[in-house]
Amino acid sequence: MSSDDSNHSEEELQIIQEDELMEQVPVSLEDLDASDIDDEDGDLILEQKVTINNEAALKRITEEFRLKDLPWIETMAVTSTEPIELEDVHDDLKRELAFYQQALEAANIGREKVKAAGLPFTRPDDYFAEMVKSDEHMEKIRQRLLDETAGVKASEDAKRQRDLKKFGKKVQIEKLQERQKKKSEDMEKIKMLKRKRKGAEDFSTEDFDIELDGGADDKSNKKSKRGPSKRDKKDSKYGFGGKKRYAKSNTAESSADVGGFNPKKNKAPFKGQAKRPGKAKRANNRNRK
Amino acid sequence: MASVYKSAKAGEKAENKSNGTVDRRINKQRVLLLSSRGITYRHRHLMNDLEAILPQAKKDSKLDSKSHLHILNELAELSNCNNCIFFEVRKRQDLYMWISKTPNGPSAKLHIQNIHTMDELKLTGNSLKGSRHMLSFDKNFDASPHYQLLKEMFTQVYGVPKGARRSKPFIDHILSFSIVDNRIWFRNYQIVEKNPSNTPGYTAKDQDDITLVEIGPRFCMTVIRVFEGSFGGSTVFENPEFVSPNMIRAAHRREKATKYNSRQAAQTERKAKLKEAEGKESELSTRKVFG
Repeated sequence: MSSDDSNHSEEELQIIQEDELMEQVPVSLEDLDASDIDDEDGDLILEQKVTINNEAALKRITEEFRLKDLPWIETMAVTSTEPIELEDVHDDLKRELAFYQQALEAANIGREKVKAAGLPFTRPDDYFAEMVKSDEHMEKIRQRLLDETAGVKASEDAKRQRDLKKFGKKVQIEKLQERQKKKSEDMEKIKMLKRKRKGAEDFSTEDFDIELDGGADDKSNKKSKRGPSKRDKKDSKYGFGGKKRYAKSNTAESSADVGGFNPKKNKAPFKGQAKRPGKAKRANNRNRK
Repeated sequence: MASVYKSAKAGEKAENKSNGTVDRRINKQRVLLLSSRGITYRHRHLMNDLEAILPQAKKDSKLDSKSHLHILNELAELSNCNNCIFFEVRKRQDLYMWISKTPNGPSAKLHIQNIHTMDELKLTGNSLKGSRHMLSFDKNFDASPHYQLLKEMFTQVYGVPKGARRSKPFIDHILSFSIVDNRIWFRNYQIVEKNPSNTPGYTAKDQDDITLVEIGPRFCMTVIRVFEGSFGGSTVFENPEFVSPNMIRAAHRREKATKYNSRQAAQTERKAKLKEAEGKESELSTRKVFG
């Protein structure tokens, strides 16, 4: 449209303005002329289904075949007092609830009417007859219900267990932290004591110091003596954390470094494997161990 | 021998009638229930469920033709039926339900969707086979003439008339028809009256309380057309909102096809753009200077 705007005569422009004015008023498809419809893309479908709704005929037919003058008990049809209106059809829960309420209302009304007509309504417990669903099928349904409740219970149990575990872990960490704190406090105390002693008497009380080490400081001392743990060793050997890429590739430094290279080693004659010591020597060695 | 017995019996009956103990059935409805060829298991199960619910229904063998439905009128007459439910299956997937008052009409064609049969384990209710049920209609049925007509038709076809053959005396379930979203939703509930044995924590207050448990089947009907005659005649109502499942499938397929085409177009366009962006070789390009 915009490309050939300039070609419009004044008359056409006027029409366009009128069209714009009319935009507010909806016009049904049937009332439009074919020429009025601006079909730029050519994909507008101009055909419209001719709908049939012959209300007069519908009413006449309904009246013709309607069951007339029958007591209610013959048909037992109940119409609800309130029409069902739902905002969202796809909301299953609300929709089913509406259907349920409609049926419940009908059931309550119907029961009164059936009783008024003098017919039995409730099936007595001792009335046995063929049912719509077989006993096997009902057993299956029962089993499924049981399974469902069992599943719910199991999942709840598992959840509780998980929560407990989480809580337990928290408690454990708290305890460890408390112990650590106590230990550091003790250390602080001992240090203070030592300093006081040093200030009071200049001569060292070595035997007393040793006693102290063996006493309250026992645990921490042991640990420091033990050295790095297995985990630490492994971490230093295999690496823990940090960047793992290019760890084994050369860098400028490593390629410049010839520390490990010894040209003499290359020229050294081949010695072969170290010889196995003789029998007596081996026996001696074993004895020494 | 048999004929003698029959005639004697007939005489007896006539006598009874004259004595005043007449056949009291004033609402005589019998329903012919059958399907076309090409029915799938789910549709067949639905049909069996309807047969179980409706004691006045007579099931017949599959009908061969889909074009000459008027023979159904004769079939119904042969089996003494004045109503007919016909399951027309197209393309082995789309189910249309015809319900008709044979032989003079009216009739209606409905499209059936969202079928859940009674076999589903989620539907936990149960009822006597052949007990009469109540029918519950949504008030929306009174809103427009074609729904009024359908309501009357449903009362005659789906209602079990009093004293129907094989029907049992108690009323323990209820069929509900509701109109939502311009469709008719069908549900079947068991009526459970609270008593000490089925309600934990039963009190005197609960005495007349009713709860419902769904039995099934459940399905959803969309009206396509209403005809004046039975399986034919002039159309008196046509649903403008109905879109045939074929159209929906075709649209879906077309959408899929255009998806591929548009992607291809985008790819070629991108290639052309890249080529253009490369531009011409400049005076100082490496190839020109050193080549």
